[in-house]
Amino acid sequence: MSLQSLAARHRRSLLLAPALIFLAVFFVMPLFDNSMRSFVTEEGGFTLARYADFLTDRFYLGVIAETVVLSAAVALISVVAAYPVAYVLVRKSGRFSGMIIFMLIAPLLTSIIMRTFGWQVLFARRGLVNQWLVQDLGLLDAPLRWLNTPGLAIAALVHVLVPFAVLSIASVLQGVDRRLEEGALMLGASRFRAFWEVTLPLTMDGIGTGAILVFMIANGSFVTLVLLGGGFQTLPLLIYQQFNTTRDFPLAATMSTILLVIAVACLWLQLRLVRRQGV
Amino acid sequence: MRLTDILLWLFTAAFFVFMLLPILVVVVISFTSAGYAAFPIPGWSLKWFARIFEYQPFIDSLWVSLELAVVATVASCVLGIPAALYLARSRSGWATAITTFLLSPLSMPMIVIGFASLFFLSALGFGVSFLALAIVHTVICLPYVIRTVTAVYRGISPAYEEAAMILGASRLTTFREVTLPLIRPGIAAGCLFSFLTSFDNLPVSYFFGSAQTNTLPVVMLAYMEHQFDPSIAALSTLQLALAVVALVVADRLYGIEKMTVAT
Repeated sequence: MSLQSLAARHRRSLLLAPALIFLAVFFVMPLFDNSMRSFVTEEGGFTLARYADFLTDRFYLGVIAETVVLSAAVALISVVAAYPVAYVLVRKSGRFSGMIIFMLIAPLLTSIIMRTFGWQVLFARRGLVNQWLVQDLGLLDAPLRWLNTPGLAIAALVHVLVPFAVLSIASVLQGVDRRLEEGALMLGASRFRAFWEVTLPLTMDGIGTGAILVFMIANGSFVTLVLLGGGFQTLPLLIYQQFNTTRDFPLAATMSTILLVIAVACLWLQLRLVRRQGV
Repeated sequence: MRLTDILLWLFTAAFFVFMLLPILVVVVISFTSAGYAAFPIPGWSLKWFARIFEYQPFIDSLWVSLELAVVATVASCVLGIPAALYLARSRSGWATAITTFLLSPLSMPMIVIGFASLFFLSALGFGVSFLALAIVHTVICLPYVIRTVTAVYRGISPAYEEAAMILGASRLTTFREVTLPLIRPGIAAGCLFSFLTSFDNLPVSYFFGSAQTNTLPVVMLAYMEHQFDPSIAALSTLQLALAVVALVVADRLYGIEKMTVAT
C-alpha cells in the first residue's frame, strides 16, 4: 500500500470523529462520572463499601433479584406470545402480511402515556373490562381490582416490548429454508415433529436475540411501573425514588452502576448471538 | 384449514386485540362529550381537542418537544451520516466494534443515561437547559440515524460512485449527485425514528424538568397525576395521528421495506 493511499484511508476515518467524540464526551463520560460517584467516599477517597453494603443487604439483594426476575418474566412471556404471531406473519399470512406488519408497528408509534391511559380506562374499577365481566357477561358478582396488581403491570410491559420479539423472530424465520421442513415431512415426520425438531431449533437465534432485547429494555423501564403500580421494587424504580424523594445520590449511583453492568452483560450476550448468525 | 392453522390464527387475532385495544379505547375516549374518561360514552364531541389548545402548559411544552426533536434529529444527522458512510464500507473487526459502540446508547437503561447526564452536564455548567436536553436527546437519537444509513448504504454497490469518479466527478460532486440521493431513504428513516424517539421520550426528559425544558410527555405525566380527564386522550390521539401520517408519507416516498431493512 502506497503512503498516499494510506493517508487517504486515514483521512476517510476522520468521518468517524464527530460521532465518536460526541458519544465519548456526552455518553461515556456521564456514565463513568456517575459510576465514580459510587466509589468515592465523602472525604474523596476510594471505597467499595457501598457495594459491600448493597450486596449484603437482604432488601437490596431482593431488589436486584426482583429486577432480573421481572425482566426475565416479561422476556419469556413476550417470546412465547411472539413466536406464533411471527410464524403466522412469515408462513401463513400471505396477502394479510402488510396488515399484520402495520398492526405490529402502529403500537410502537404510541407514547407510553397513551398506552398507560388505555390500561387505566380498560381496567379501572368501573372500567370497560369490569363492566363486561359483571354487567354484560355476568361472570362476576363484583368488579375485580386490576390496577396496581403485578399481573397488569407485567401485561403492560409485555404490550410495550412484544413487537420487538415478533420482529426478531420473524426476521430469522424468514431466512429458514422451508424445504428443510418439507424434507422432514416427506421422510415421515409429523407436522409437529417437523416443527419441533427442524424449524424451532433453526430459529433459536431469533428467540435468543428477541428475548435479550426485551430483557434489556424491561430492565431499564420504570415509567410503566410508576404509573400502573404493581408493588414492584426494581432498580430503576428505586433510582427514580432516590432522585425524587430520598436524594441519596451515591446510593442511586451504586444502583445505576449495577443496572449498567446487567445491561452490558446483555449487550455482550446479544453480540455473541449475532456473531454466531454470521450477520 | 387444519386445526393447528385455526389455532394459530385465533392466537394471532387475540394477540392483536391485546395490542390494539388499549390504544383504541384512548382514541374513542378522546372524542367523548363527557367530562370523564370512562365508558359508556354519552355522546361525541371535539371539545377535548379544543381543550388542548386552551391549556397553556400543553402548548408551551409542545413547542419545546418539537424544537427539541428537530434539533436532536439534525444534530444526529450531522454527526451520524459521516460515521455511517465510513462504517458501511469497512468490514474490519475494528469497524464492527466501533459500530457496536455507536449503537450502544440504545442498549443502556434510559433512566441511568438521564440521571448520569443531569449530574454531568450540570457540573459542566449546562445545568437544566434546552441545550443540555438537546445534547442528551442527540445521544439517544444518533444510533437510529447511524443504523438506518449504514444499512441502506451497505446495500448500495460502490460501482455507482466509482463510475462517477471515473467519469471525472470530484469527491464532493460524487457525494452530492450520487451517494446522497442513494442513501436518502436511510436518512429519511433515521430522521423519522429519531424524531419520534425524541418527541416521545419520557425517561430522559423527566430529569431535565423546568419551565423552559418541560417536554410534552413530562407535562402530560404531571397532568395525569392530578387529573384523569379526556384531554390526555385527545393529545395522545393527535400524536398518534401525526406519527401515522409521517410513517405513511415516508412509505409513499421511499417504501417501507427499504426503510426497515435496518431494523
